[in-house]
Amino acid sequence: MNWLEFSYLLPLFIIGCGAVILMLLSPVERLSMENFSVLTFVFLTMALIGNLYYFGELRTSFPLANIFSNMIIDDSYAVYFDSILLSGGVVTSLIGTHYFQTKRKFKKEFFSLFLFSLFGMMLLVHANELLTAFIGLEIASLSLYVMIGFQKFDTRRVEASYQYLVLGSISGVFFLLGTALIYAGTGTTMLGEIGYAVDAQVGKDTSLVLIGGTFILMTFLFKISAFPFHNWTLDVYDGSPLPVTAFMAATFKVAIFGFILRIMLVDLDPIREMWDKLFVFIIIATLMYGSFMAVIQKSLKRMLAASSIVHTGYLLIAFVSIGVAGESASSSIIYYLVAYFLSAMGAFGLISYITSNDQLRVTYEDFRGFAHIHPYMAAMLSIFMLSLAGLPGTIGFIGKFYIFTGAIEAGYTVLAVVGVTATFVSIYYYFKLIALMYFYPYSDLENVPPLRGITPITIGFIAIAVIAGGLGNTFIAYFPGVDFLIDNARLSYMSLFIK
Amino acid sequence: MHIGILSIIIFLPMAVAFLMLILPIKQQGTRNVAFVVSLVIFFLALYIYNNFQLTGYMQLREFYPWIQTYGIHYSVGIDGFSLIVLMLIATLIPSAYLLLWNNERSKIYWVSMLFIQSGISGTLFSLDLILFYFFWEAMLLPVFMIIGLFGSGNRVFSTLKVTIYTMMGSLFMFVSILYLGVAFYYEFGSWSFELNDIVQITTISYEHKILLFLSFMLAFAIKIPLFPFHSWLLETYSNSPTGGVFLLSSIMAKLGVYALVRFVLPIFPELFKEFAPWLIGLGLFGLLYFGIAAISQYNIKKMFAYSSASHLGFITAGIFSLNAVGMMGGAFLVVAHAISTGGLFLLVGIMERNLGIRSISALGGIAKKAPLFTFFFAIMLLCIVGIPGTNGFVAELLIILGLFKFNVYVGVIAATTVLVAASYMFWMFQKAILENRGNDVSEMIDLNVKEVLGLLPLVGLIIGMGIYPEWFLYKIEPTIQHYLIDILHIGANV
Repeated sequence: MNWLEFSYLLPLFIIGCGAVILMLLSPVERLSMENFSVLTFVFLTMALIGNLYYFGELRTSFPLANIFSNMIIDDSYAVYFDSILLSGGVVTSLIGTHYFQTKRKFKKEFFSLFLFSLFGMMLLVHANELLTAFIGLEIASLSLYVMIGFQKFDTRRVEASYQYLVLGSISGVFFLLGTALIYAGTGTTMLGEIGYAVDAQVGKDTSLVLIGGTFILMTFLFKISAFPFHNWTLDVYDGSPLPVTAFMAATFKVAIFGFILRIMLVDLDPIREMWDKLFVFIIIATLMYGSFMAVIQKSLKRMLAASSIVHTGYLLIAFVSIGVAGESASSSIIYYLVAYFLSAMGAFGLISYITSNDQLRVTYEDFRGFAHIHPYMAAMLSIFMLSLAGLPGTIGFIGKFYIFTGAIEAGYTVLAVVGVTATFVSIYYYFKLIALMYFYPYSDLENVPPLRGITPITIGFIAIAVIAGGLGNTFIAYFPGVDFLIDNARLSYMSLFIK
Repeated sequence: MHIGILSIIIFLPMAVAFLMLILPIKQQGTRNVAFVVSLVIFFLALYIYNNFQLTGYMQLREFYPWIQTYGIHYSVGIDGFSLIVLMLIATLIPSAYLLLWNNERSKIYWVSMLFIQSGISGTLFSLDLILFYFFWEAMLLPVFMIIGLFGSGNRVFSTLKVTIYTMMGSLFMFVSILYLGVAFYYEFGSWSFELNDIVQITTISYEHKILLFLSFMLAFAIKIPLFPFHSWLLETYSNSPTGGVFLLSSIMAKLGVYALVRFVLPIFPELFKEFAPWLIGLGLFGLLYFGIAAISQYNIKKMFAYSSASHLGFITAGIFSLNAVGMMGGAFLVVAHAISTGGLFLLVGIMERNLGIRSISALGGIAKKAPLFTFFFAIMLLCIVGIPGTNGFVAELLIILGLFKFNVYVGVIAATTVLVAASYMFWMFQKAILENRGNDVSEMIDLNVKEVLGLLPLVGLIIGMGIYPEWFLYKIEPTIQHYLIDILHIGANV
């Protein structure tokens, strides 16, 4: 056993074992929900610390090759994504604390499933082989299906869970079919080797790989809810418990992008431009559809769900730009994922906290005059809305700056203009909430829990991070700011090409 | 001269605003502190003014890396044109505080005013395009708050409308800024958004340049507002609280003109020349169109809203006249108009506080009730109309001269249409203030000491600059010459 190589995989190992331990402990009556949420937090923090130990180091390795036979890779890229995913886990568990404790219908197995889904996502990011990736993807998805429908007395939850299950499984099948076709075309499912095989075939017939890649992309588009595979998003996000929605919207997307960028940047690089025209169409449709849906929503949760489609569109703008402006576009994707993750996590988390004592539908109107009774929560919610809208001074602005710069650099100025138009529309539905909160004198929202406990503190920290990420590090010395994140994103990009 | 003084001017109000938000200080305390801050800034600005060197170039440069990966810098500086706008803002804001003293009774109001002052100063000094965009947008949020929280009528809708309207312009400008940055990167191999670097780009084709130019123009034209981009104006002005209208009309709009000269002129000098006739036409058309629109208004605030837009069209025409006289006239009218229109809106605010919102026909006989009010109102009004002895006269004269130099026919049109202001202003003054028509205005209270103190410097400037304009023009002349000779390559001819 090589301990150094084992230590590379330690975070993955901790999360996997943690999930199993929690599952085994769940019948023990003496342990309460609180104990479980603390245990989950401990596992997540241990894994995050283990992961951050290797953060910022340029490296590529195949740990424990004799056991996993190169199917699992550990490079700076995976470490960066793991950090985002694990932070997502930590934040979800902290934000969810209040929610899970007040809504008594959750069972202890929930936390085990939560760790399992995180394990699946991490596996996806570490996968160096298509079937391993599929296993990771399905572990993550299956756990999420159950997490969504956990409150089985609520028909909305069950409907959302079932819809996601059926559609998600179909999209999973596409992935398998794509894998089979790529195997037929190249004779391997290992990521590096696919690249060599495709390189050798360029100029000859690459149709099998092309079709296989298209199928895999379809799964990818489904999971990140891009046009035309977006129909499930609104209902599923709306039907899920809010912390789970936050987890899905912010974290799952990160993992999917983590895998698809790896395969697109390295293995399918020679034939990638064949999809470019298709992507331009998909992006414009995604942005338009998402904006339209977000504008007409009355429910805040559905608006955030629809706006997540728009943010997928922005990410895809950077995704299509990686052909020409590889480094800046892919690091802009990574940066934007962090930006979106923070803002969305904060917004979903705060709304879940505000409404956790009630069975509200959470419409815009519920927030009328909210700021006059709860100024701090309103301020935080405004910060998240501004960041999602990409106003200067927030991390969302820097994220958009990178994405649009990358797009123009790659020659897709038209897409940048379309993206800006979508941003312009988004001002309406984000500012509407701020206007409602501040410009009406009284509030009907009752049963708002006081600012106490771990959840508001976490959300407060996220709000500070959103501002700090938007100001850069001139203002606060030695604080991880814009340059730190983007430099490390570039480092992780470089690690993909170390042979 | 001390380096760092510009940063103090930018960040002092912001820092104080944050402090006020955190500390449990009541409305009055916040207002007093904010007033003191504005006075401090006034004296800092005075210090800069006295030590300003008469060159056409940037002074007091500050340059720190901000986001290094993309070569974005915190880069600020000041030249003659920014200097006069700085002086204008530094004088107007303390005056506005004095006139708004008892008008608004909320802490958020004063905190927003502080934030706005930071945003304005940042916009004014930025020499990096991203930094400029940062402040340009950041300036919007506190205004959003002021209109939405303290406005009247359908304020929520008009707040959203003005926000979305201005955002539309600035977002397209944002894409253009990024395009310029990328063009610089492809030509020189390193990233920069610094104005001095961006002007060196040579690779952009003519067609693309026009698109970039138009998107910059759109952002500024909406803010000013130039003719077809004014549809947010009336509703926003009439639904805003006094402070909001004051900020929008006498400061934000002038910043639109300022940004036009600061960024569009050096980045697109050829297009600036090429489009000049069109923009002069647009400006003069706006002058006439908004003037006629003002005649038909029955509400003073709405009338002033159109009157303000009308003069801004005239300022734009002066800026695009492509000679020193016209441009100096434009800069001069920026100051003159900001002072007089700002003063008028603040005075109308006082009238509204006493009498409520009324149409002109429900007023009348105020002169008897409030002679001091009438006196100041008259001076501001005369300045707007451009009566000799006020700075409005000097400014309008210079612009008309500039336009004559540009083209005789344009000059004739300008000289005749500028009189439109006289028609509605005097009519309104007679109906609303002088003539006693039996309407009950007994609740009108005359100005108190604070308000008079706030207005006196403005009156001093109006008359001082009107009688001895040279005292003011010599500071800005080298800068204008620099624009004309070094950037636009037009010979100097004063």
